[in-house]
Amino acid sequence: MDKQITVGIADMKFARQEGILITYALGSCIGISLYDPMIKLGALVHIMLPEVYGSGDGNIFKYADTGLAETFRKIEILGARKPRLIAKIAGGAKMFELQGNSTLGNIGARNIISVKQILQAEGIRLTASDVGENYARTMSFDISTGEVKIRTYGRAEIIM
Amino acid sequence: MKITRYDEMKGLGLDLIREIGSIGTGNSATALSSMLGKTVRMTLPDVQILGYNEAIKFLGDPEEIVAAVLVKMTGEINGLMLFILKLDFINEVLNSVLQKRIEDYYQLNVMETSALEEIGNIIISSYVNAMSTLSDVTINLSVPDIAVNMLGGILSVPMVEFGYQTDKMMMISGQFVIGGNVLHSDLLMMPDIQSLNFLMEKLGITNG
Repeated sequence: MDKQITVGIADMKFARQEGILITYALGSCIGISLYDPMIKLGALVHIMLPEVYGSGDGNIFKYADTGLAETFRKIEILGARKPRLIAKIAGGAKMFELQGNSTLGNIGARNIISVKQILQAEGIRLTASDVGENYARTMSFDISTGEVKIRTYGRAEIIM
Repeated sequence: MKITRYDEMKGLGLDLIREIGSIGTGNSATALSSMLGKTVRMTLPDVQILGYNEAIKFLGDPEEIVAAVLVKMTGEINGLMLFILKLDFINEVLNSVLQKRIEDYYQLNVMETSALEEIGNIIISSYVNAMSTLSDVTINLSVPDIAVNMLGGILSVPMVEFGYQTDKMMMISGQFVIGGNVLHSDLLMMPDIQSLNFLMEKLGITNG
């Protein structure tokens, strides 16, 4: 049995060679897996909001922009190189439909846009995504193969 | 003194919130009791100020499936009301209202889901009415919505709503006791920080 490491909300974990990184029940949040297949190094980030506002609150992994920047910095120190990185994303759902509610209504969609823009600006390949809709997703990332599994309620498991 | 973080609430401030919670849940219990024709009590309200991951642990498991009714409060108090219903509570309600029982959340059809949504809405509205009358504040409620999904995903909604203000969640929670049994449901009131300051000022209470 592989070692399983849980990534909390507004959190990031990485592993080398083997192990499973898992983040549970992504709602409007987004899970981003980054994998360097050559050195089998992977990181999983769980962000809540699209971008930091003002000087922020010190919780860097809460935001897509600061969270991804810090993740790149950490894994590059460990030998990962951006041109080799493969990204996969999941989440960005809209759990409830509430009228006249801008923050709740589109935060998932704004998270998706923000994450995709950042990955593109950094020149990172986004090879798979399972985003949007109205249900939560659990994302598990196998470091030995780079494979990502998405578990949901009432739907078949997705492997990407 | 105005607070800027939930964990600055203490002493009288917390007592005030607990008292409002107590009056809100009492009113909700009365409403539920008249719908079900049974004695309904509420447990004493609890004020929890928790980090994101602890908040989920406090209410269950992140992947646990639950039904949840969400209503947004706007006006002089801003925030969210979330009512989380688990299987035993759902069955108690469905049995009283539609004479039906389910074994699994998969079996909830449109009719049953909308019955649960309406009951959640009545419970939430009774709570908010009591709170609004007691403190003489105007609170508008949105149309409710119900979701049946993973607890973690549902709780990400209030976390994101207040995500730019705080890293903590403040939940004033209570559970229904029907016919002597504590059934699994959590009624959560989650005001934003400004609303807490407004309430304390309005009712002449100094935090501390």
